[in-house]
Amino acid sequence: MTSNVKISVRQFTVIVMFYTIGTTILVIPSSLAADADQDAWIAAILGWVLGLLIVGFYIRLGRLFPNMTLIEYNEKVFGKWLGKKISLFFIFFSFICAATVLYYLGNFMTTQVMPETPIESFTILFAGIVVMGLRLGLEVVARTAEILFPWFLLLFIVSTLFLIPEIEIQNIQPVFEFGIKPIMNGALTFASTASLPLVILLLVFPAFVNHPKDAGKAYFIGTLLGGLFVIIITFLSISILGADLSERNMYPSYALAKKIDVGNFIQRVEILIAGIWFMTIFFKTTIYSFSFLTGLAQIFGFRDYRPFALPYGMILVVYSLVVYPDVVYMMDFDSTIWIPYALTIGLLLPLIILSVGSLRKKIKK
Amino acid sequence: MKIKKNFSSQSGQHQIMVQTEPLYESLDENIRKIKEDLGSSDDIIIREIRIGREGSVKVAVLYTDGLADKQVITEFFMESLMKKDTLIEPIEQLSDGDKRLESLKGMVLQIGDNKDITDFASLYNSLLSGDTVILLDGYSQGIAASTQGWQSRSISEPVAQSVVRGPQEAFTETLRTNTSMIRRKIKDPNLWLETKQIGRVTKTNVAVMYIKGIVNDKIVEEVRKRLDRIDIDGILESGYIEELIQDEVYSPFPTINNTERPDVAAAELLEGRVVILVDGTPFVLIVPTLFISFFQTAEDYYQRADISTLLRIIRFISLFIAMIGPALYIAITTFHQELLPTQLLISLAAQREGVPFPAFIEALMMEVTFEILREAGIRMPRPIGQAVSIVGTLVIGQAAVEAGIVSASMVIVVSITAISSFVITGYSMAISIRMIRFVIMGLAASFGIFGIVVALIALVLHLCSLRSFGIPYMSPFAPFVVGEHKDTIFRLPHWALSSRPRLINQKNSIRKQMSPPSKPKS
Repeated sequence: MTSNVKISVRQFTVIVMFYTIGTTILVIPSSLAADADQDAWIAAILGWVLGLLIVGFYIRLGRLFPNMTLIEYNEKVFGKWLGKKISLFFIFFSFICAATVLYYLGNFMTTQVMPETPIESFTILFAGIVVMGLRLGLEVVARTAEILFPWFLLLFIVSTLFLIPEIEIQNIQPVFEFGIKPIMNGALTFASTASLPLVILLLVFPAFVNHPKDAGKAYFIGTLLGGLFVIIITFLSISILGADLSERNMYPSYALAKKIDVGNFIQRVEILIAGIWFMTIFFKTTIYSFSFLTGLAQIFGFRDYRPFALPYGMILVVYSLVVYPDVVYMMDFDSTIWIPYALTIGLLLPLIILSVGSLRKKIKK
Repeated sequence: MKIKKNFSSQSGQHQIMVQTEPLYESLDENIRKIKEDLGSSDDIIIREIRIGREGSVKVAVLYTDGLADKQVITEFFMESLMKKDTLIEPIEQLSDGDKRLESLKGMVLQIGDNKDITDFASLYNSLLSGDTVILLDGYSQGIAASTQGWQSRSISEPVAQSVVRGPQEAFTETLRTNTSMIRRKIKDPNLWLETKQIGRVTKTNVAVMYIKGIVNDKIVEEVRKRLDRIDIDGILESGYIEELIQDEVYSPFPTINNTERPDVAAAELLEGRVVILVDGTPFVLIVPTLFISFFQTAEDYYQRADISTLLRIIRFISLFIAMIGPALYIAITTFHQELLPTQLLISLAAQREGVPFPAFIEALMMEVTFEILREAGIRMPRPIGQAVSIVGTLVIGQAAVEAGIVSASMVIVVSITAISSFVITGYSMAISIRMIRFVIMGLAASFGIFGIVVALIALVLHLCSLRSFGIPYMSPFAPFVVGEHKDTIFRLPHWALSSRPRLINQKNSIRKQMSPPSKPKS
């Protein structure tokens, strides 16, 4: 393993943040509005708190076995044979997620920006830079995140400021029209899209971060900040587009950016704002792929994952084309299958690992 | 004829290389061998003279015409050698060779540094670097006295890196002049200088300069190691060295900076960097180099801090224009017309109405034309300069637009891109940016803004993977170091620049301890 690779706490924070924002920012207002209508932003806040709790749990799990990745402590907790089997669940989860994220990107480009260009050209190009990032290693990806972060922040702040005049407060009224239940549903959706995949980062944290003690804090702060960005976008989407339009749009934040109009001169800048998502999607795909490849290498005992980066990229492109046969399937999968799947991988399995792990530790004592 | 024979008989191996045998005792033997080895080249002057009262001691004086200072030789050697007075007298009486040599040396010492020679290799080395060699009959030892004095260019103004305010002197082609120019700026005993000869045939002097106690010893060690690894027949410019010691070969970005300004070299030494000077070129190398170095000039430190900061920001804006200017134009006019305000769009569309090419081809044509003109401007003989500028302005500027081959807006885009690329202070960096521009243009033509963003991510990935002598190329941006940002995009006032770059040197990092200058108490 290339375990001599270390990234700093600050870099890890930025990566967690990009990862949390990922594709979430593009699609979450739509599914939240479907659940909670005009209270979607409240659902987002609740989901965010829920997500922070989940991350707190992950941090505890990570502290149990410092300096080890999830794969390594699976083997420690369940023994070699069973541990490897359980680890396979995790890495397949990241592989499927990577493919869906890539599909989202291709789908977004072909439906919203360039309808005549085949989806393969976008996914291949994008997978190309993902493979490049994988081959250069986590350290380089982390540094890239550091450099791109100010640009992300700049675009985000500028677009938010430009959108503030468009807010119509009656769009979010009446508050709590349908009671608390739909809001809780929304919160669960939010947590499962934005926070549960964070379990994958246990493959990076704490083994690759140079100060494992502070890494937990970075994990938390990254989620906190990333969640804030998503909440802001959800709020803007509901208050500007209205619950109905947000729900019907597949990519409400893109529709949101179309509303920007400053002095009749800065208008229709949505493609520049989309630059934000290209960045966050890049980091999300790369981290998923990285955790898949390092996990694979650890399970099968390869010294280095790099030789697999290119073949992996090819498989990823092909799989991204078949993971969702069409948009209807995607919607169905996201609303019915995704949440239980994410709960299993992101909550159930880690819970089992944590309880068995701490039990074993106690017995040892 | 003889040289030719030597070359062929030794199957290409250079002849001088094998001359490590010691000198003969007989003067005639020595001279015969030297003549044979050097192919009786006409510029090698060998004067045999007899000295002593009876002229019984045979001495030969050898020097290379043009490399050695003739006046020095006549004044300090010949005259004192030929003098038949008391000074030379003891020579004949001293039977021991060493003592005779000592006596000769005592006399020769008038001209400063000299050294003993015992074998042919060092003899040729001295002779061909401008020293004068004195051989005494009957002794297998000689004296080389430093008489170097050849024609060289005097110190002139910097050509490539000019400033409005600041020293107006540049390095020259002579190594010794260059080192002296740095020494004049840093009069510290810790400024150390190591000289190596690199190049099997050219035997070029390469000097490594650093300030002991400030520099990171590991970097100096690394520089030494990489220089020692070089095995090449000739070094004619510092570019040879640069390419042979850089970290990453397959990258468009330069990881070693160069300068022709002594003040810049001194400033870099004070920051803990290593300066490599090569004989025969005014451009010295600076290692390690960061990406940011290519956007800073000497003048940034001579002007007020706020002005320098503004200028640096302008340089960064220029970087982006130079890199993605035409690509953005292509992307917007081809895919994202909605970005433009309606009136601007209408006027652009009206201009492009008669243009038969897609925006990408149009941009490519203009960019290539400009690059050709620029190259012609540098390479052609100076008197023709006027012609090229006329052709350039007329062809690119007016005729192309009037003929309907390109649109006027494209001319504007290409011009601003070209001007922006000249703002980037590091010439080698500007070239890489121009190269990358074409790749980004291609991606923009096929994928619009998406292509540009993908290209930029790939570019940043590549930049982040680079290192210069072990230092991350993109530092202090990535890894981000807060304290280092006092002198990157911003240039804080001098009293605030209190420490040296941390990644380059860990020890002795405090430059000064100063508080902001206080106002006079009235």
